[in-house]
Amino acid sequence: MARKAKSAVAQAKAASAKKGKGKGGINKGVVLALIGLLVPFSIPTVVLVSATMLPTLAAYFSEKGPHRYAWLCVGGLNFAGVVPFLFTLWFGVHTVDEALSLISQGGVLFWAYGCSAIGWMIYKATPPMVASWLKLSSQRRLASLKAAQRKLIEEWGTDVMGKEK
Amino acid sequence: MADGEGDDGQGPATEAMDAAEAVVEAGAPAGPPGVLRERYTVRSGSPIPGLSMPNAEAYPAEDKRDPNRKLYALICPPGVPPRVNVMRAIKGVSSPGMQQLVEWGPMMWAPAGRQCMTVIYERPAGGRVIGSLRGDIRRIEDYDIGPKLIEPVCASIKELITRGITHRAIRPTNLYYMDEGGERIVLGDCVTSPPAMDQPLLFETIESGMANPMARGGGTHADDLYSLGVTLAILLMGRNLAGHLDDAALMRAKIQQGTYATLVGDTRLPLAMIELLRGLLCDDSKLRWDVESLDLWMQGRRLSPLQSRAGKRAARGFPFQGREYYYGRELAAAMARNWDAAVPPVLEGKLELWLRRAVEDKERAQAVSDVVRLSLGGGDKKMASDLVLCKVLMLLDPAAPIRFKGFNAFPDGVGTALAMLVAKRADTKPVVDCILKEIPKMWFEAQGEYQPDNSLMEQNFKELRGYLTQTGMGYGLERCLYEMNDALPCQSPLLGERYVVELKELLPALNAVAPANTDGKKWPCDRHVAAFMGARARSDIDRNLTALSDADAGKGLMALINLFAVFQYRLGPESLPALAAWIGSLAGVAVTEYHSREKRKELEKELPKLVRKGSLVEIYNLLEDTGAREKDRTGFEWAKAQYAAADEEIKRVQADDDERDKEADRAGRQMAAVTGILISMITVTIIVIMKVW
Repeated sequence: MARKAKSAVAQAKAASAKKGKGKGGINKGVVLALIGLLVPFSIPTVVLVSATMLPTLAAYFSEKGPHRYAWLCVGGLNFAGVVPFLFTLWFGVHTVDEALSLISQGGVLFWAYGCSAIGWMIYKATPPMVASWLKLSSQRRLASLKAAQRKLIEEWGTDVMGKEK
Repeated sequence: MADGEGDDGQGPATEAMDAAEAVVEAGAPAGPPGVLRERYTVRSGSPIPGLSMPNAEAYPAEDKRDPNRKLYALICPPGVPPRVNVMRAIKGVSSPGMQQLVEWGPMMWAPAGRQCMTVIYERPAGGRVIGSLRGDIRRIEDYDIGPKLIEPVCASIKELITRGITHRAIRPTNLYYMDEGGERIVLGDCVTSPPAMDQPLLFETIESGMANPMARGGGTHADDLYSLGVTLAILLMGRNLAGHLDDAALMRAKIQQGTYATLVGDTRLPLAMIELLRGLLCDDSKLRWDVESLDLWMQGRRLSPLQSRAGKRAARGFPFQGREYYYGRELAAAMARNWDAAVPPVLEGKLELWLRRAVEDKERAQAVSDVVRLSLGGGDKKMASDLVLCKVLMLLDPAAPIRFKGFNAFPDGVGTALAMLVAKRADTKPVVDCILKEIPKMWFEAQGEYQPDNSLMEQNFKELRGYLTQTGMGYGLERCLYEMNDALPCQSPLLGERYVVELKELLPALNAVAPANTDGKKWPCDRHVAAFMGARARSDIDRNLTALSDADAGKGLMALINLFAVFQYRLGPESLPALAAWIGSLAGVAVTEYHSREKRKELEKELPKLVRKGSLVEIYNLLEDTGAREKDRTGFEWAKAQYAAADEEIKRVQADDDERDKEADRAGRQMAAVTGILISMITVTIIVIMKVW
């Protein structure tokens, strides 16, 4: 039976789609499988992290737009606040009861949420500072360019501006 | 009028009135004496009317080296172009039949308040042969006229022929007795006016008489012999038989009866004299006696008397302006005098019909018909019909001068005519049209036989036409004026009282008038000066002349300085401080041609030094340093590019405010994220270390 001929472009597109789809699927599956395998061995950690890392989750979902970096900043500080208690759990009694006991102590949440609040502040304060710095830099550049132009006019006259006499 | 020479009431004398009056006006108040070439002193207080010419007043002159030498000077008015070429040719020539021209040149003449062309002659002791053609004239006996007049004058005409010039002012009122006894007669001045301009119609051939007096041209020695013939006839008869005729009647009589019959009529003369006069007064220049024939006659050889032929007479007259004309030449002259009235009969074919039926000259009738048929079609109808009439008049009388809307001239007289018209501030349009419409070319073609001089003149007219079609400084009518009159002084008002004939005199003259210049923006050059330079410079300076009219004043000024520098280098003098100062005051425009402010300051510092030195050459070299100009140009281009790039960047920086805010927001967020991650990592590291330690 005669096969229907396909264009070269169409064949290339199909091959590319097939290749891409297959590769992405394998990676995600591997990662999720590994995480799934580890969960039964670290339930106390999961309980502690779930309770203390809520601000990071909130930062992730609350931010809109293409540049969503808030969860990284808040998350980083949030995690820094949680890490000492995670180490206490890991190097102490690694049980769910111990995890809940830590959570019930006000200090753990205070440090976790306090640090995430600092992260938020850093996240809110940095863009205006960068903008101010960039603006200052532009103004200095403009001044430098205009000074160079003035010098050219002094040396060559206003004709250098490119206007006909 | 300076009428020491009698005015016989003829046309040319009237033509010369204006210029002569100018002499009288200029010469009225006495002043300090003029000094020519630091040798000849001319006293302005006592004019000599008896030696004055129609266009030049006579004054006593003294030779400082030989105070006993009897001399007199003729002062030419500035508006009339003298015959400088003839002056050059006959200066110092000692000929038995000619006054000796001792010296000539421009001289400061106090009564005129300016420099005037001055000619120094030996003073005739016996005065003028006759003072006026009016009334009775002192006869010269036929046995006397040979040795006293014919022989010396014939020798002088021969002398002129060998020098390639003509006299063109032979008439009884321009003959002088050099000795008190009246034994030696000589020809008088011939250089103070254009050729034959002062000649009454009576003394000019039919053809030359048809031309405007100022446009008769140099002519040939045949014209001089004709004038000699008329002079002899009057002196032999002791009266002027044509004295009662006005110019038009005299011309008609000459055409119809011939010159001999008009002047001599039935007067009884010795046979030898009849033969001589018939030979010299022959109206056909080809048959007229030449100097060899005159020599043979003087040696006693008898030649058969010539009979004048007036041309073919028509069976029926051509009615024109209330008169019947039977000769083509006569009709052509009448038509030339009544230009507008002559056009209709020519265009309507009446003339062709008359030529065909009454004159029975079918060839000429056909030629007229062809001219009318071919020339009329489209364009400017008035000009076309004028050209048709001009061509038809040439067909009717080819030997006659160019006749175009009242301007009647021989090609070699167009130049002097133009000079006179410009001097009188009269309408020059007919001359301009004549050159632009290539009428001289038509005239040369109508002459039939080839003449080398004519082809040369034709080529010259072609060049003049080229100059006329260009309107910039150094071209146009002024250029034609100086090209056609190589002895005409520069007419520029810039030169004031100065009389500048040669290019080497121009810069010193400008240098002399420079201190009087108060207008800081006025150039030491105008249309006349530019045209004068163009015509007198032996090398081709047209590129610089064209640049004079450049819209960019700097380029124009540099072209002028270039021209002046070249002339100073070639012709001197070495120092022209006043002119250099004038140029220096204008040089700002040329300095601003440089873009670099530093270079400008350098030039402004150097310029005064060169101005004091008076060197236009060095000023030019300073301003027109090719290497410096190129460096300035490339530097300026680089600076322009730099400025434009900076401009672009400024615009970009100013226009990117929104973009920069967005960029700052993005970068800030990224920086905050990195900070958070770093803090996290540092904390983890510290805690790990603490636990492990």
